[in-house]
This record gives sequence, C-alpha cells and structure tokens, in this order.
Amino acid sequence: MSAIQIRGVTKSFASVVAVNDLSLDIPAGSIYGFIGPNGSGKTTTMRMIVGISHPDSGSIQVFGREMAGSSPIGVAGYLPEERGLYRKMTVRALLEFHGELRSGRSVAPDVDAWLRRLNLADWADKKVETLSKGMTQKVQFIAAIVAEPKLVILDEPFTGLDPVSSEAIREAILELRSRGTTVVLSTHDMNTAEALCDSIFMIFQGRKVLDGTLAEIQDLYGNDTIRVKAEGGAAAMAGLPGVESVHDLGQIQEIRMGRGCDPQDALRELIGRTRVWEFSIAKPSLHDIFIRIAGPAGQMAAKVEAQNA
Amino acid sequence: MRKIFLIAKRDYLASIQTKAFLFGLIVAPLLFGSGFIGVAIMKGKPDIKERHIAIIDRTGVAAASIVESAQRTNREDLYEKGTRKQIMPVYSFEVPTPAGSPEAQRLALSERVRAHELFAFIEIGPNALHPAESDAKDRESDVFWYSNEGGVGEGRRWLSGPVSDGIRRVRLAQLGVDPSHLNETLKAVELQSMKLLSKDPKSGAIVTGGKKDDLAGFFVPFSLALLLFMIVMTTSGPMLPAIAEDKMQRVFEMLLASATAFELIAGKVLAAVGRSLTSSVVYIGIALLSLNAMALLGYAPVELLPWFVAYMVAEVTMLCAMAAALGAACGSPQDAQSLAVVLFAPVLIPIMMLTPIVQQPNGTLALVMSLVPPFTPILMMTRQASPGGVPLWQPVVGLVGVALATAGISWVAARIFRVGILMQGKPPSVAELVRWAVRG
Repeated sequence: MSAIQIRGVTKSFASVVAVNDLSLDIPAGSIYGFIGPNGSGKTTTMRMIVGISHPDSGSIQVFGREMAGSSPIGVAGYLPEERGLYRKMTVRALLEFHGELRSGRSVAPDVDAWLRRLNLADWADKKVETLSKGMTQKVQFIAAIVAEPKLVILDEPFTGLDPVSSEAIREAILELRSRGTTVVLSTHDMNTAEALCDSIFMIFQGRKVLDGTLAEIQDLYGNDTIRVKAEGGAAAMAGLPGVESVHDLGQIQEIRMGRGCDPQDALRELIGRTRVWEFSIAKPSLHDIFIRIAGPAGQMAAKVEAQNA
Repeated sequence: MRKIFLIAKRDYLASIQTKAFLFGLIVAPLLFGSGFIGVAIMKGKPDIKERHIAIIDRTGVAAASIVESAQRTNREDLYEKGTRKQIMPVYSFEVPTPAGSPEAQRLALSERVRAHELFAFIEIGPNALHPAESDAKDRESDVFWYSNEGGVGEGRRWLSGPVSDGIRRVRLAQLGVDPSHLNETLKAVELQSMKLLSKDPKSGAIVTGGKKDDLAGFFVPFSLALLLFMIVMTTSGPMLPAIAEDKMQRVFEMLLASATAFELIAGKVLAAVGRSLTSSVVYIGIALLSLNAMALLGYAPVELLPWFVAYMVAEVTMLCAMAAALGAACGSPQDAQSLAVVLFAPVLIPIMMLTPIVQQPNGTLALVMSLVPPFTPILMMTRQASPGGVPLWQPVVGLVGVALATAGISWVAARIFRVGILMQGKPPSVAELVRWAVRG
C-alpha cells in the first residue's frame, strides 16, 4: 500500500518550474530518501506532501486522501529544512504545544520519554533560546514525531549534528519504521541515504531522475566501476585503456570504464606501470551516480536534453 | 476550533507574561492620565506672580479707562469663590507718554520685557476709539500686544476683556451716555447650554433635559475615544513586529503542517482580543475607581460599555488580521517598522479628526466618517458618548459594516499570510500581494 501517491505534479514559482510532472509512490512503513542538488525541488515536494504548499497541477494522495485546498491533513509530522521554534518557550512547553496541536491530546509523557532518549532531559525547563544549534535541532525533531504521526517528513534531519546526535536520530528513525511509520527524509549525505533508506528518489532540475531501491538504481548503471588501490595513486592511472574517468578518493581511486571496454585490459596495463594492491569490480556508489547526474557533465546533458525537448 | 483555541492560548499566555505587556498595562494609562493630572496640577497651582504692563496710549484718553477696568476685573477674579485662594496674578500698570519715535519707544519697552521688568506692553493705536475711520486693512490693528507669551497666551486672553471694556466705556462716554448706566450696559451675556427636550414614550409627558454639562460633553467622548485608541494600539501594535520576527525565526513552517493559515491567524487574533479584554478590564477598572475617588462616577457612560467592547473586539480583530498579512509580507524587521503607519491608519486618522467630531458630533462629516468601517469604532463611539447621542440605526449599521469589513480583511489576510509567510528575501510588490490575495 502506498502511503503517498503523487501523480503528474507540477509546481512553479514565477517563471521557475520547481517540480515538473512528478509521479512517485512511497510505500507505507518504509524509509524513503530524497536526494538531489540544492534547489532541485526536494523541499517543494516535501512541502506539497505536508500540505503547506499546493501543486499547480497534478494530485497528491496521502494515505488515500487527496491533499486539496488549504487544509493540511495533519497526519504528517514535519521537520522543515529551515529550523525555527518559539525561542521564549521552555523546551517542554514547546514540545507539548506542538504535540497537542497535531494530535489533540496531551503528549506530556511522550515528551519526557523523548527528551530522556535524546539526552535533553536536563534542558526540559530551559528556554529554547538557551539551546545550542544541535540541541535545537533535536528538539525540533522531537516536535515533529512526538504526536506519533503515521507519516514523518524530515528535511535534512542530520545537517549540523555531531556524530553522537546523528546516531541517536538515526536510531530513532529506524524505530519509527519498526512501529510502521512511513519516513520520508532528504539528505545530502549519500552514505546515510545508502545505509538508512529502503528506497531512494532523486530529483534534478524539478524532474525525477532516480526512483527505486539502492540495488535497483545501481543495476541501472551496471558494473562499470572499478575500485583500485595502487602505488602512485591517481597519477598512475592516467591514460589507462578504456578508462572514461578517474575519481580520486585519496587512498583509493574509483575508475569508470567506457561502454564495451574490458577492465582486464586496464588491469594488465596498470600492473605494467605500478604495484597494484587492490582491484575490484563494483557497482557504482550512490555518490558516484549522484555526481554523474548532477555534476557538470550531467548538467550539460540535461541542458542539451532540455534544448532538444 | 480546538487548534484555534490552542494557538490563542499559547500566544495569549506568551504575550501577557512579557515585560512589554505588563509595562504597557501600567505605563500607557499613566502616560495618558498624566496629561489630565498635569492639567489638574497646573490648575491647582496657577501662576500668581505679579504682572506689570505698560500701556502706550496714542488716543490720549483710553489708558485710564482700560487700567480702571482691568484693576476692577482683576479684583473680582483674583480669588476663588469660597476658598479665597488666589488663582490669578495681580496686574499692575504704567502709562508712559507716547514718544516722538514710536519704534524707539517700542524697542525700549521690548528690552524691558526681555529683562523681565515688564510682563508685556500694549499699544493703543490713534484710531482705536473710532475704528470706522481707519482703513479697512488696518481694522484689526488698532491695539497691539507685545510680549514673550506663546501664541495662545493666557495674559493676552485675560486682558483683551478689560481693554475692550475700557475702550467701549470711553466711546460711550464720548457719545454722552450716563456713566452710571455703563456697568449694566456692558455686562456680558453668556449662553447657557441646555439639553434637548424629549417626550416620555409611555406617559407622553415632556421631559426636560436641564442644563448641559460642557465638561461631560467634551471630556466623556474624548476620554472614551482615547481609551479605545490606547487599548487597540497597545494590544494590536505588537502583532506586526511579532509576526515579522516569527517569520524571520521561521517558526511558521512547522506550525503550518499542523494547522491551516486561517487557524493560525484566527488563533493569533483571538489571543490579541484576549489581551485587549485584559487591558480593558484593567483600564476601565482604574478609570471607574479614579472617577469614584473624585466623586465623578456619574460621568461614566456605563450604558455604552457593551458598544465599547464590541467596537474594541472588531477593531482589534481588523488590525490584527491586517498585521498578520503585513507581517507575512515583511522581508525584515525594518519592513515591519515601515508598514506600521499603514497598519495604524484606521486608528490614527479618527484620532486626528476627534476635535471636529466632538464639536459637531451630528454633522455630516461626523456621520459619514463614522460609517467608514475602519474609522467606525473610534468615531461612532465618540458620537455615541456625545450629549444627545445618535439614532440607534447608526451604530448598528456601523457595527455591521465593521463586521463585514473585518471578515473580508481576515479572509484576504489569511490568503496573503499563507503564501507570504514562507517567502524569504525581498518583500513582495503591491501587485504580488494582490495576486496572493486573489489566488491564495
């Protein structure tokens, strides 16, 4: 069953088309990752799902109910990209306000439990303005989920968090999924998207360019990636036969083979040049796929495609 | 409604606990009241320092009569009846001989005024006794007052009576009128203000209104209008910068996932109405206690209280809805400051018109302006509190107009708010605001 069903949605701001003819199905109980460069349409899509912005055309259904007019359904807990809370309220009062506003019931026990869990219990009676940026972000995360919504939309929930806080939020997200909550999150951290998300959706220049599980996406790009660790690093790999590009990761290099080229030819040449410690044929990483789509080459291709369209 | 009340409760509690609200609750009535208190103190402690006046008499015969009239009036007015407390200064006079060079003499006397030897000097022109003989252009220039007083100086105002009286006496004497009849002839006549008569609807008897209290006729409508203005300003005023600041702090995006734009605005407006009711209870309580302490409780127009509350709620609702829309359109706190004038126009314009409206509460200007919805609360309240009041249909029509205008403004404000509140960067143009209002 789809928690969210988007059909042919387009949204423009003046002359800028933020989201262009988007269709997407997000299964209930899954963690769905939204990736894409800045300004590609992630936040606009999330705002339309939440109901605070409305499509110019197309339809969005959340748990089978059409998002229409100016009324948010109120089933989604939402952590916006732009963090903002009433600064003069105490942490506890603020969280109880957000929880009650969404659910219509007192959420005081849940607030205390979440504050303890995210190591904020000592700050419960402090004003929000006294919190650090990371703490504020954790408070806002609690505000989004404390009412136990069936759907949680998290716009870049890990930005600005230290590793300990990131891990706490990651565990909380996994727990939400285990309870059956559908989680939609956006991130610029491809490792997080790979590790955490059941499915990944990439939007680029307002259009959907990827949608599926990590394996499905990687299959689209085939086994054209070779991870190499060799003496001399990237310099030793210049001009290898059949190699289209070399991505220097420091201690290791990722090389991409051209279409129809044999990695064995490249390996033979490389062994002749230097000492090779590792050589493995792999599927491209999400990071690599992202760069292929949204990097300079991808942008150029999109431009040409747009001109031809 | 649950969400509206929850938002209202949060906003209300947050705002009444601020120092600014508590400060305003105490300081605003003190500031407004201090004007009245200041007048009362000044009235209780009049300037009674002797005032020495020089009179240059170019008629040669008027000065003695003027001095006599002034000293007689001075003796009559010098003490308060009953208490025998001196309430005005003693005036003394000197009559220098007109010099050959008038300008030199005026300069010399001016220097004496500056040196505080004289309070002022008066120059009686040669044609003062026979103004008809003067050129029309000079008709108003027969007697001149030279002083350091302000434009509406109390000395000039008081002395104009004795000067006029003294000159009239000389004129009449020159016409051969018996001096013994002059006091009766020149006695001033005062128009006593009376209330209109009415017919008792039950008995049909004519009901006389009696003497009209001029103080009540001015003081009551003026005070009610100022009280309404003060409450509306102190409770609606903070809304615009608060919305703009919350927008800058980006607190609305998360709330809009839980409540509609209309619910957010309605909650905020309801909180402002709550603040205004809190303020009005305090202010009206203070006013009634003060009037009671001064044995003036009878002046309190208690029967107008329901109208006062209705106007206050309508005006606060209208201004707060406007503030929400304007606040959502702001790109910075500076924008909010600039837009404050636009927001407060509906209360500032009627306050500027208050004096002519109080003077002519049933004139055409007063009627028309009090039926313009943004101005209705203050101006209709003023007219209703004036002696004689207004026909019932006028406040009813006015209030219906205000209710319709408030509903319309709130609807447009909610549409502008929903779009504008998530916009960042440069503020929208008027055309964009109109587009938001139309398209939502």
